[in-house]
Amino acid sequence: MVKMVIGAKKIAEMAENIASKEMGKSHSLWADAFRRFFKNKASVTSLIVLILIVIFAFGAPYISKWNNEEIDWAILGSINELGRPSLANGHYFGTDDLGRDLFVRVAQGTQISLLVGFVGALIAVIVGTLYGAIAGYFGGKIDSFMMRLVDILMSIPYMFVLILLLVVFGRSIFMLFVGLGLISWLDMSRIVRGQTMVLKNKEFIEAAIAGGANHFTIIARHIIPNLLGVVIVYASLLVPGMILAESFISFLGLGVQEPNTSWGALISDGAKTVLHGRLWQLLIPLAFFVAGLFSFFFIGDGLRDALDPKDR
Amino acid sequence: MFRFILRRIAIAIPTMLILIIISFVLIKSAPGGPFTSERPLPEQVLANIEAKYGLDKPYHQQLIDYIVGIVTRGDFGPSFRYKDRTVNDVIAQGFPVTLTYGFWSFIVAVSVGVSLGIIAAIFHNSWIDYFAVGISIGAQVLPNFVMAPILVIIFTLWLNWLPGGGWHGGQWQYIIMPVIALSTSYMASIARIMRSSMLEVLNSNFIRTAKAKGLSWRRIIFKHALKPALLPVITYLGPAFVGMITGSVVIDMYFSTGGIGREFVNSALNRDYSVIMGITILFGFLTISFNLLVDILYAWIDPKIRY
Repeated sequence: MVKMVIGAKKIAEMAENIASKEMGKSHSLWADAFRRFFKNKASVTSLIVLILIVIFAFGAPYISKWNNEEIDWAILGSINELGRPSLANGHYFGTDDLGRDLFVRVAQGTQISLLVGFVGALIAVIVGTLYGAIAGYFGGKIDSFMMRLVDILMSIPYMFVLILLLVVFGRSIFMLFVGLGLISWLDMSRIVRGQTMVLKNKEFIEAAIAGGANHFTIIARHIIPNLLGVVIVYASLLVPGMILAESFISFLGLGVQEPNTSWGALISDGAKTVLHGRLWQLLIPLAFFVAGLFSFFFIGDGLRDALDPKDR
Repeated sequence: MFRFILRRIAIAIPTMLILIIISFVLIKSAPGGPFTSERPLPEQVLANIEAKYGLDKPYHQQLIDYIVGIVTRGDFGPSFRYKDRTVNDVIAQGFPVTLTYGFWSFIVAVSVGVSLGIIAAIFHNSWIDYFAVGISIGAQVLPNFVMAPILVIIFTLWLNWLPGGGWHGGQWQYIIMPVIALSTSYMASIARIMRSSMLEVLNSNFIRTAKAKGLSWRRIIFKHALKPALLPVITYLGPAFVGMITGSVVIDMYFSTGGIGREFVNSALNRDYSVIMGITILFGFLTISFNLLVDILYAWIDPKIRY
């Protein structure tokens, strides 16, 4: 009886070992990619920098004794001397021209810039993937019509159309998301289409068709999951692209509006006061902008090396 | 070749029309007309004004009139905010300025970028190569709106060499900073593209043959390698052009150069729809024509392209 229990246990253990090894093997594509990504020093450093930026963005408002709208009347008249970054009065990054604490403002701007980056990229990913997968899968006339439309939209200077959109429908963060998303899916759809055209001639798609699956099941269950690698790589490069576009528009004063702010809006404010000698108002947001974008680019590079089968 | 050009033009025209229609529809869907203000005008006055500008006609008629006006007379219509000037006046005033520094920026970006890329590829893995790679990575995060204030800090605030803004009829010291700010990131991208395509070409068989024949380095690079290596750069010229046109708005805002960009932003803030639309269409026309030129240039250089 006892022997049998031990035996059963051992067998179960062995079975588990085998199963877990089997599991390891079946996931090896993603596990491999994971391992490759973490071997890349630049990407891992960037990931750490980015995590620190995110922690700062959400943590800073709790550390500081100022909030983002409060005006420090004590220093308002003499920002050049008293508004400098200092530990004594709690303005770790100094204040802006209106006497608001820059430490908290930068945190707030970082939150919004990151949000714009991720939401814009997400919209682009969803629209672009669906559009590209449909065009690539059906091919023929549908494909050439859909892709001709993409060609046409691509040769329009999109920033102007985006600004037009913001002017017509009001300058709000929501409109900014929609506008950026609407415009940025074009490249994604091209990449996805190309990849889909390769995939659709593979045996497993043939098997799915033979099994009686309809077109949308095939696209949703068989094509899109296999596009994931390419989509992730490209999406990781879309995020800094979105942040750049948003910063550009906010720099012109047409994007994020007060009391909200973003990296672009903060750089814009800082750039206006440069000649008055208040350099910190420009350089601190700029440092965050540069560090953030660099991290995104290097993470994207690392993901591409890890996931893109072409470069191996 | 001729057929290729014709077909390419046949794509460019509907693209232009779509741009006009998109902007027209967007503007017509804006809440409130161009003459809606806080103090409402008497109905009869409003009707008279709208009749004067042709706004009482049905939308499709307005659209057709607008397009016909642009195509036949080059007329973008009146400004809705300022009675004494038309969209054409705005463009005529600002466009020469934008064109001047835009032209120089483009020349600088292409010539410096291409040279840097070639030098980096020839001296592969030397310090000059690392330098070129370094700036091309760095410039990814230095778009025009970052470069502009940094240049002002260095050259105006610290060194006091150059004026921090203005135009003064386009004297050279007023052009330098706008050109550097606008061209840096594209120069870096061109250098990166040129370097990698040059490296690829230099490793190919026909270059080995050329070397085996005992040709001089100069001959190999300029006579054999340059043309095929330039192809990827040419494809990038289109996006670079669009980027610079868009960037000119920042330059005009930051350096007060008086180009078309400031008018664009001001009309965006004032909701002066006809000016925004006119400038959008003008820039769209430039972009589309430029892309057309690039495609023709590409087809002309690349013997593999099918007409």
